[in-house]
Amino acid sequence: MNLFAPEYLAALDPFAEEAKRIVESSPPFESIPSEIVERAVNRVKWKNREMLVEANLEAIKADVLSFYLMCQAVASVSFPGSQEVRLISNATRATLRYRMYDVFKRGQAELCMKAVKRSIKLVDLEVGEVVKIGGTVIPREDFYKLRDQKLAEDGYDMVDDRILQQYLPKYAVRWTDLAPLLRHRKKELTELYLVNGWAVITPRDLWDLYANFVSVRAEEYVQSVYERILESGAQPSGLLAGVGERISSLVPKESEVRGRFTRGTAGKLRPEFFPPCVNLVMNGVGAGLRNYAIMVLLAPFLSYARVAPSGRVANRMVDFVDNISVVRDEIAPLVFDAAERCNPPLFKDQPQEKAGIFYHMGFGMTTEPTLSDSGRSKWYRAPNCSKIQSSAPSLCKPDEFCKNVKNPLTYYFRKKYEGSRSG
Amino acid sequence: MIMHEATPEERRRFYVEEWSKREIPDFVLHTLSLREFGFDLDGRGPNNRYNQFMTVDQLGDFLRNRSPYSVYASVALYERPTAREGWLKAELALDIDAKDLPIKDCVCPQGKVCEKCIDAARLVAKQFGQVLSEDLGLRNVNFVYSGRGFHVRVNDESVMTLEGNERGQVVDYLTGKAIPTDVTMALGYSKIFRERVARTFGAMSEEKLMEVGGMRKPLAQKLILEKMRALEMIRKGKIDEISDFDGMGAKTLRNFLEFLTRINSEFADGKVTIDTKRILRLPSSLHSGVSMKCMHVRDIDKFRLEDAIPKFVREARDTC
Repeated sequence: MNLFAPEYLAALDPFAEEAKRIVESSPPFESIPSEIVERAVNRVKWKNREMLVEANLEAIKADVLSFYLMCQAVASVSFPGSQEVRLISNATRATLRYRMYDVFKRGQAELCMKAVKRSIKLVDLEVGEVVKIGGTVIPREDFYKLRDQKLAEDGYDMVDDRILQQYLPKYAVRWTDLAPLLRHRKKELTELYLVNGWAVITPRDLWDLYANFVSVRAEEYVQSVYERILESGAQPSGLLAGVGERISSLVPKESEVRGRFTRGTAGKLRPEFFPPCVNLVMNGVGAGLRNYAIMVLLAPFLSYARVAPSGRVANRMVDFVDNISVVRDEIAPLVFDAAERCNPPLFKDQPQEKAGIFYHMGFGMTTEPTLSDSGRSKWYRAPNCSKIQSSAPSLCKPDEFCKNVKNPLTYYFRKKYEGSRSG
Repeated sequence: MIMHEATPEERRRFYVEEWSKREIPDFVLHTLSLREFGFDLDGRGPNNRYNQFMTVDQLGDFLRNRSPYSVYASVALYERPTAREGWLKAELALDIDAKDLPIKDCVCPQGKVCEKCIDAARLVAKQFGQVLSEDLGLRNVNFVYSGRGFHVRVNDESVMTLEGNERGQVVDYLTGKAIPTDVTMALGYSKIFRERVARTFGAMSEEKLMEVGGMRKPLAQKLILEKMRALEMIRKGKIDEISDFDGMGAKTLRNFLEFLTRINSEFADGKVTIDTKRILRLPSSLHSGVSMKCMHVRDIDKFRLEDAIPKFVREARDTC
């Protein structure tokens, strides 16, 4: 098999049909070779040529499977927008970009374009006597300034003709087609050279944009797996949890993180990012809905949102907090206040449910939880949107953002993450 | 021009005698039944929400019967406007409020507007419209005089499904909020940045300049004295040459540019743009706070404030 066989597209796009076929025809993760497991962990550490894939089917297969193992493992020990997700998203972007540069450098621009055109609609610039896009002339000086700017970004003063080709403006994409990248702040509109709705780009830019597209899709894929895990309520397999924990241990420590990632993990609850259903419950609900709203939805939601368990499978809160005041002083008062606002107040006729709240957070039936109680009962997760819709339809008043998520927690984590990125 | 608050009787006269459905622009009229309508019935805020009108005549009947203080319609289109559910898409909207312009050369009291600052807002709206059409390649860019400023409302399908973050980036682009890597390009954001910075600096006083970190009085005085020369440098992309002014080191120049971009970002209310469920004043309705008609402006160059004056104001003025 040569580098340019159609299967190689799977190494350039893990979401391509070619890659999906590989996944479908592979055995379950539990029985995959240990080299692939190692590869899944190592992906986040790769430097330069380690990112390349040999042009043989086995290597491509290992690459695709390790990608999916990495994503699913992270989904099993963290949450959308977590540092782990950022880590694999950045690693995916870097890998894809490097591979695209490499394939292009080897004279196989067509293969790159085949992969790219599945995600990005683009047109060629008219480069002749004058440079034009959509009938608009691009001043020649701008054409060269764009080239020089890109060369400077990569630290080049001078390059040979083969590499130079990657730095010459060659294509244009509609800026509105870049919306997913703008949404995730992977690209800034003010960084684009826009003419009449077209963003003028070099091949180098194109590989960057493409790599960013794939990294956004990787983040979305992790989110969908995370929601599947929440929905099933099942514990992730030992392999996924193990790989997830190993990847999590590679997340740079807080001090190193600063400046690279702008967002913390666990932290004070941010009600402005709560989903509509949780806001409704916070305001109190009527009889008939109270138990479901307070015990099943609110207590698990607030506890997961506040603790934001990552790095390990979330079985017990004690694995993620070292002070019970997080539960007693931050989470519980909000749940109790909401219970008090119910009509009639929940504890008025069901005082035993105070203990039920801590039970749903994994502390067993108690009203005075301690850290050592953590794990006495199951730490319930917030139900998925579909469950809320069927069990308590009046709580589901979706807003626009809801259509992107399947679980209230995903709503919160994503909104908080996007909120922190947009400043 | 004195802008007074409309009385209930004046509101009634406006809606019974003057309001016409023909003044509702097509981009609203053709999607009327998909929009949420909001009303401020008594001047205490738009708290009558979740309304839907299946026909413009139903809307007309409501307006004539209730003579509301203010009328709003959503930028969003919904499957079920009365529940604000089933969001389909939303116009891209920009709000330029004359009273909130960060640099004004009129002497309006705080919170008030005059002809001069309304015209300044018109120019800002026009500049935004140009960039939306030319750089961003958007069609169906509409202007609305809101009573205290202007709305730019884009009904191009390619932007109507954008979410808040992307819309926020459009505001950054239009206002010149970021300093580009290369300020010398003939086209693209570089050009917009130079134009915005030149506009803002051109309208700045010495006192305002003194707010720039590291700016000393002699330098501020010199910049004001030689403003035309400095503006020329900015417009030609030779921003580095501003360092030639005595006392303008690299750091002060950076502070100066950052200060200008901060001011630039205040020319539009970004909150309005990123909110894909916003309600905006309905063109054709009365802005009762200032007794002016909110109106669709077909040609922003030919906008005359006089055209927005309702009959009851004109008649009162003529009898004085």
